[in-house]
Amino acid sequence: MKPLPPVCVGVSGSSLEPLDSWFKREILGHEEILVRFIARVWPRHHEIADIRQEAYIRVYEATRVARPQSPKAFLFATARHLMADRIRRERIVSIRAGGDNEFLNVIVEEISPERRVSAHQELARLARAFDRLPAQCREVLWLRRVKELSQREVAERMGLSEKTIEKHLRTGTRLLARYTQENALEPRINDTDELESDETGRDHGPQQRH
Amino acid sequence: MTTDRNNDIEESASGWLIRRDSDSWTDADQARFEEWLDASTLNRITFLRLELAWEESARLKALGAGVPGDRPPPPGEWNLTAFFYSHRRPAQDGGAHSVANDGWTQQDSADTATFFRRALRSSRHFAIAAGLFLAVAIGLGVYQLQREGEHFATPVGGLTSVPMIDGSQITLNTDSQVRVRLTRTERRIELKRGEAFFEVAKDHDRPFIVDVDGRHVVAVGTKFSVRRDGNALEVTVTEGVVKLDDTILTVGMIARSREDGLLVQRKSLAEAELNLSWRRGVLMLREMPLSHAVAEFNRYNVRKLVVADPEVGALKVEGNFRPTNVLAFVRLLESGFPIRASVEDEQIVLNAR
Repeated sequence: MKPLPPVCVGVSGSSLEPLDSWFKREILGHEEILVRFIARVWPRHHEIADIRQEAYIRVYEATRVARPQSPKAFLFATARHLMADRIRRERIVSIRAGGDNEFLNVIVEEISPERRVSAHQELARLARAFDRLPAQCREVLWLRRVKELSQREVAERMGLSEKTIEKHLRTGTRLLARYTQENALEPRINDTDELESDETGRDHGPQQRH
Repeated sequence: MTTDRNNDIEESASGWLIRRDSDSWTDADQARFEEWLDASTLNRITFLRLELAWEESARLKALGAGVPGDRPPPPGEWNLTAFFYSHRRPAQDGGAHSVANDGWTQQDSADTATFFRRALRSSRHFAIAAGLFLAVAIGLGVYQLQREGEHFATPVGGLTSVPMIDGSQITLNTDSQVRVRLTRTERRIELKRGEAFFEVAKDHDRPFIVDVDGRHVVAVGTKFSVRRDGNALEVTVTEGVVKLDDTILTVGMIARSREDGLLVQRKSLAEAELNLSWRRGVLMLREMPLSHAVAEFNRYNVRKLVVADPEVGALKVEGNFRPTNVLAFVRLLESGFPIRASVEDEQIVLNAR
């Protein structure tokens, strides 16, 4: 593996946040665009999850030592190197580009122009993922997470065993995590714009005025 | 690494995750769980990924806030607009998710009565929910409704709408409290602290009066917000006519009243609405000195921002932000301004770099 670009330059600030919660926010939070990035480069879509997990592992292990200044760039660089490695190792003939690995040099920003998603859009997305769950699973998750009933209470309410409730919760959580990824693979529907249409809902970062 | 193996690990991870949040979790379970986490980085990242999905699912509460009964609404029938826009909006051209069917925004008295009955019945759940809500802290979905008599309040970072029996609606911003008294001759709301947006149902026989520390804001049928900072008072009118003590305020007017006098500005409706972006969980800052911006953020967060340097405080910032996501704001500041932030448990200090 070639050395990574110098995005990993030491611990950022005085951040003493536990690594796991940092990782969830700064790395796992980019899953949708990461998967979109991998899918664009990697022709065998059934391997995307493997590549994604491997990228997470590498990033997690690297950040044990030092947290990157720019976690997202680091994540994408890691995924890119990992795919280049696989291509060399498996002697895959590049399918999309003319023989060399140029296609790997996709600029991250091209795929994911930094777009801050409003809380509103995030909720809309969550509601859609939730709507795709099987009906019973959906109801169990609702009672447990929204109505905050215990597993036993949910079991009583629905006339099911606690074991079955646990099964639904496990499946529901896995599916919710998966739907984010599938969302990235589906043709893009501009899903939230209709909710934002008449407001300046897009965040734009701070601008300095003199 | 194969997909099958990934699947097996995800299956195990989901088991740990769900059982950990159950009542039967023991110290021995915890020890075994930690051993499993430490066994491989793949175990750990698989678990974290599911844990994130599990945590995110709690945000459905934001959508469950107005749903009657215990069951989720049918797929596709989320009233996202109703939650974020407390005034009624015309249906937008029929995308599946614009969800124009008004469902529970309709505030006829039957619905309102149901709301109150439900609130009473589930007051225990509200209490349990409160702690978790704060932890989830995305600001929007996150609210706590304390109801003792006719008091309604939100915690720091909270945002909630309270439907009233007369068809009016009160939206409370962060760290706010009102007391509501409805009689046959008047509707009287005391803003004890914070900021509230009022959508007043027309009722000529019963004026709608907001009391703020001896000053009165009177409306008949209108929309306006009242914000209180100590003794200072700010009224923003977005529809109809409002009377602040003896001053008539119309659409687009922003009145600031302090002990030393009253300042009234006439603005466009769009500019006036900027003052009300908090109802959607957004803080819109326009050419604002950082010192003011920091004061705004501090209303929404327990961990306060501190400007260590007057030079830093004078920098002008502009942008739309989630007021509860103070760390994101700080990161943006650090990347775009000559500012260095030291993040501490209790506060975040902004220094010149």
